[in-house]
Amino acid sequence: MFSKKTRTLFIVPYLLWIFLFVILPILLILWYSFTDSNNHFTLANFALFFKNGTFLKMMLNSFWYALIITVVTLLISYPAAYFLTKVKNSQIWLLLIILPTWINLLLKAYAFIGIFSNGGLFNQFLHLFGIGPVNFLFTDFAFIFVASYIEIPFMILPIYSAIKEINPNLIQASEDLGASHWQTFKYVLWPLSRPGVESGIQAIFIPSLSLFMLTRLIGGNKVITLGTAIEEYFMTTMNWNMGSTIGVILIALMVIVMLVTGKTRKRKKVNL
Amino acid sequence: MALIKLKHINKQYDDGFVALKNINLKIESGKFYSLLGPSGSGKSTILRIIAGFSHPSQGQVLFDGQDITDLDPSKRQINTVFQNYALFPHLNVFDNVAFGLKIKKMPLRKIKPAVKEALKMVRLSGFANREISELSGGQQQRVAIARAIVNQPKVLLLDESLSALDKRLRKEMQFELRAIQKKLGITFIFVTHDQEEALSMSDQIFVLNNGEIQQSGTPVDIYDEPINDFVARFIGDSNILPGRMIKDYEVEFANQRFKCADAGMRPNEKVEIVIRPEDLDITEPDQGKLVVTAQTQLFLGDHFEIKALDTDENEWLIHSTNACSLNQRLGLYFDPEDIHVMRKHESQADFDARLESYEEESNVQ
Amino acid sequence: MKKKHFFAKIYLTFVLIMLYVPIFYLIYFSFSSGKNMNKFEHFTLAHYQTLFLDNRLLTIFLETILLAILSSLVATIIGTFGAIAISNLNKKGHKNTLLAFNNVLMVSPDVIIGASFLIFFTALGMGLNFGSVLLSHIAFSIPIVVLMVLPRLKDLDLALIDAARDLGANNFQVFTNVIIPAIMPGVFAGMFMALTYSLDDFAVTFFVTGNGFSTLSVEIYSRARQGIDLEINALSTVMFLFVLILVLIYYLMTTKKGKRGKRMLGGVVK
Repeated sequence: MFSKKTRTLFIVPYLLWIFLFVILPILLILWYSFTDSNNHFTLANFALFFKNGTFLKMMLNSFWYALIITVVTLLISYPAAYFLTKVKNSQIWLLLIILPTWINLLLKAYAFIGIFSNGGLFNQFLHLFGIGPVNFLFTDFAFIFVASYIEIPFMILPIYSAIKEINPNLIQASEDLGASHWQTFKYVLWPLSRPGVESGIQAIFIPSLSLFMLTRLIGGNKVITLGTAIEEYFMTTMNWNMGSTIGVILIALMVIVMLVTGKTRKRKKVNL
Repeated sequence: MALIKLKHINKQYDDGFVALKNINLKIESGKFYSLLGPSGSGKSTILRIIAGFSHPSQGQVLFDGQDITDLDPSKRQINTVFQNYALFPHLNVFDNVAFGLKIKKMPLRKIKPAVKEALKMVRLSGFANREISELSGGQQQRVAIARAIVNQPKVLLLDESLSALDKRLRKEMQFELRAIQKKLGITFIFVTHDQEEALSMSDQIFVLNNGEIQQSGTPVDIYDEPINDFVARFIGDSNILPGRMIKDYEVEFANQRFKCADAGMRPNEKVEIVIRPEDLDITEPDQGKLVVTAQTQLFLGDHFEIKALDTDENEWLIHSTNACSLNQRLGLYFDPEDIHVMRKHESQADFDARLESYEEESNVQ
Repeated sequence: MKKKHFFAKIYLTFVLIMLYVPIFYLIYFSFSSGKNMNKFEHFTLAHYQTLFLDNRLLTIFLETILLAILSSLVATIIGTFGAIAISNLNKKGHKNTLLAFNNVLMVSPDVIIGASFLIFFTALGMGLNFGSVLLSHIAFSIPIVVLMVLPRLKDLDLALIDAARDLGANNFQVFTNVIIPAIMPGVFAGMFMALTYSLDDFAVTFFVTGNGFSTLSVEIYSRARQGIDLEINALSTVMFLFVLILVLIYYLMTTKKGKRGKRMLGGVVK
């Protein structure tokens, strides 16, 4: 389409970006993870991580929190995404669901400091049922609640687009062939909308491993995830080598998650 | 003198696929040409080479005697009406039609009347401010034509331009295209896979298959004297049977001998004969040249299509205005001129020479 | 059927209430004369008064917007040209390699991006200030621009390019009159995404900023860590209105495609 010279002109800034801000930072963080504060090669950081029980426990905790957050968001979002494809004026509903994502995340987190406080909205609501006051702020419940709250729109969107792409005749065909609603969901809707669910999971699971500001603001210091630890090592104790090591491990976990959710599904073969 | 000449054009793609083999053709000015062939026959490739979007692997393209083989499409006095119209979706009708003139930096006061005139030509006056998305398929087709002819090209290329329209609209556009061509007096080269379309519109048809020109000629020539069984099958329905030339003006097929109008072949040469279904007349069995038994019958609106078997188990396709009953014995009558004899592997040059020789002969007689 | 839609609406309304309660909760208490978000005392605009007299916060607000505009502009230019270059690559392998690199920053957790950029800037000996934050925001916005523009290039009907050349356009005219208008919606979407990425970012900025420069997110974080301050509530109201206006502008821009294209051709060709 273009001469070679124009093509070079187009691609040089982009390649420069890839080198400076993608390749170089990865190499640097790898370098830091395998060195000590005197720039000597060492495996001590990794040894510390895997020998020290607190790190492993923190890793499991992070995973556990991320898993719960993902499941909770999925359970709330899937029906919402499905209903979005059914209602009239779905564009307006969709806009209303996207709008809160443009409100600064810190403001939304800040709102929950008020909502979860002892005299806040949540406790006032529980008071109606004679329960309370319960201290929610700085608990894992609060962390999971707020994280799920923030991620819900990001789960609804990909699932919505996946369901919308399904030819409605397929649903009718399934019902025509005698499938119940549940069977239609299980054998037609769910498998066809799975790509959306998978990209939703990817969009939520990985970022929720690193929501250190929520753990600080909402979870107090009771919830510590890998992200929180990295922030701690980089910004507070200034041990960048250990921080990088945790970062490299987080990257490795991320790659595993992506391989698991993104792998091509093989069709089951039927022997006739 | 020919306006466009393709000389020994070959086209081979990087993957080794040969799209065109030694194409030679002449296009004269002011005529309506059709490139007719099934998909993959190379007809669109020829068009793209003439337009300049594609370059031949070997061979030359001459325009007005000048070699334009490597000339950029933007510099050719040729414009194209694309298959799916390729109208710019971000521009309205006026801006689409004015595109070429604006590119040439023509002042707006000259562009306006030119665009108006072009839109009038395609009967879309008053549509200038419409968006493309508001137009029907037929209207988009007209805008695409207006956008091309406003540049006053010497040749207009139309790539399967009517294929996206429904049947009624297509018929209407066929008449209109022919009328526009007559009015402008420029050359149209029309690519199509629809033989009816090519037959009804063209002055001259090139029939293509497998990257080769099979036959060229007027619609009547091609319909009446197909050079080989590909052309015979591709242009209209036909009955094709193996036969043997006994001598000049006498041919044998279906185990019978018949008088025919062809000559110039070796005695006893194996040939193929073609008889068009509409040339077969149904008579009483004892008056027919052949006797067949009706197998199936379809009513097609203006005629019946009857399939019948002769005693030799050859299948015959007959178009008749009257119905028959199934398993009825029918006599088939046809004139000697209705039998078209095709030699195997005959080149177009030999074919033309042979036809000419005995046509002269028959004129003398 | 009717009943089903009724249930769908109930469920969606429930989700929407959940999504909006915290936001309106903030806005509601921004008008309260109290000190916390438990009980509405009296109606007052005092917090807005404090907000508009808070020079530090106002400076940060303006600098955040400046940062977002600058970073999204640069990212859009680099990303759009990158996308065009990628779509022009002939070898599929090269294309996939570049796309893989492109997606690294899309899927990386913010802390990793922030931490690695911090190491990077320190290794280069750069100070941590507006410059480092701007570079970081450009860097993490480029991939989304590429991803928004690429499908447009893929959908671009190649016959349109042939048509333009057929009508006499040279390469540059094809680029300005056909390619740019065709990918413009993608470019706008990419720029809008880059803008929201920048406005929304907290984690990366938190890592790569120094004492001299702060964005709204970082400022809100440090204030929120000290507890409830109703001035932040007032700020929420302002930001909410700001977002509403931004969304409105975006929707108006994307729904009037035809007119914009017309202006563009007129501008370029004449």
